[in-house]
Amino acid sequence: MAVPIEQYPDSEQRRRIMDFIMAAGQTLLENGAEVFRVEQTMQIMARSFHLREFNVYVLSNGIFASAGTAEISEVRNIPVRTIHLGRVAQVNALSREIAAGKLTLDEAEQRLAEARKIPFPCGWMQLLAGTAGSFAFARMFGGSVGSGVAAAAAGLAVSAYLLVCQKYRLPAIFQKITGAALITFVAILVCAPLGASVSHATIGALMILTPGVAFTMGIRDYVHGDYLSGTIRMIDAVLIAGSLACGTGLVLRLYSILTGVTVL
Amino acid sequence: MTIQQLVELGRQFLLGCAGTLCFGLLFGIPRRTYLACAADGAVGWVVYQLAVLLGAGGVAATLLAAVPLTLLARVFAITLKAPVTVFLLCGIFPLVPGAGIYYTAYYFILDNNPLFIENGVNTLKVAVALAIGISLVLGMPFPHFGQKSSEQLLKSRSDTKTE
Repeated sequence: MAVPIEQYPDSEQRRRIMDFIMAAGQTLLENGAEVFRVEQTMQIMARSFHLREFNVYVLSNGIFASAGTAEISEVRNIPVRTIHLGRVAQVNALSREIAAGKLTLDEAEQRLAEARKIPFPCGWMQLLAGTAGSFAFARMFGGSVGSGVAAAAAGLAVSAYLLVCQKYRLPAIFQKITGAALITFVAILVCAPLGASVSHATIGALMILTPGVAFTMGIRDYVHGDYLSGTIRMIDAVLIAGSLACGTGLVLRLYSILTGVTVL
Repeated sequence: MTIQQLVELGRQFLLGCAGTLCFGLLFGIPRRTYLACAADGAVGWVVYQLAVLLGAGGVAATLLAAVPLTLLARVFAITLKAPVTVFLLCGIFPLVPGAGIYYTAYYFILDNNPLFIENGVNTLKVAVALAIGISLVLGMPFPHFGQKSSEQLLKSRSDTKTE
């Protein structure tokens, strides 16, 4: 049986609780949770730990919170966003346990630190997933086996390229434009000897870069009335889509200028 | 429906499973949700294909597919005790109009205005259909199968204390 949390934490304790809640919110937000979930989880944690007068406002890239008639207030900027749903699920489970009163603050801090450290799948696993996923999507969108193979090759190339980009922390827009160009290039290269359709291969591999996450999260934010965050994500989705088209269009244009053959 | 069509649907189901699972892996979903995510994506995709097969347009088919997909995501979220997002984000991937967005922007660059507008409007419609489908089901009251939400856990705790 865990030691129950005291009903009225002292000021030192309140500060620790606040830090913990902010860290939990940050973990959720930077790993792809929607605004509503972040706000709700933070509020539930605050109530579980008896942090009075807790108010929080979350945007898609920032958290503003205060507690105890603004005695403590914190702002966090969360510029980097990666998607790791395993961490979101872990923090969610943590919040449930805290709400049930099963954890002390020490244990909760420990568990949060563990959740933040859940690793991404290793490099070769990401390569494999990118390759197989591209093949499956090219086939789903009506491509022949040849298109599927070309998509798989392009998917493998772009997954490897993205791993390198992440290592050197290149800007997202640059990654998308060059990644899309790489996909188109590989797709044309592989499709030519196979005689398969380039467009199916390209779209299949492009699924790796498409703004599906931004779009879905945008909708989820809109549904909960977080219009500002939803709009930010939708702009993100449109920008990514534009970058993809730029990269692809560039290579297709170059190809038709060089060879006189129009693809697509 | 002929046997061939059924076989084709089965094939699409398997492809949908594979595609969804691969993207789920890239998003680092927890291991215990692998099968559920794959099934969710495949169900959405097969319903979409079925609707197209029965003569629905792309927009109507997307709306029809979004409903069972989101329902299933909610069921999985409760039974597997994970956020809906885990299943929804992976499951929705085959339906997101990635190709539509791509073609729209592509024709914009090529300066082919009629095709640009046609693709753009169509993509927008698909996106709206998807959004309506998801928000309808997410907003719906839903049985909890005896699972307590965090709110209820909190409440039951403070109740026992005051007693």
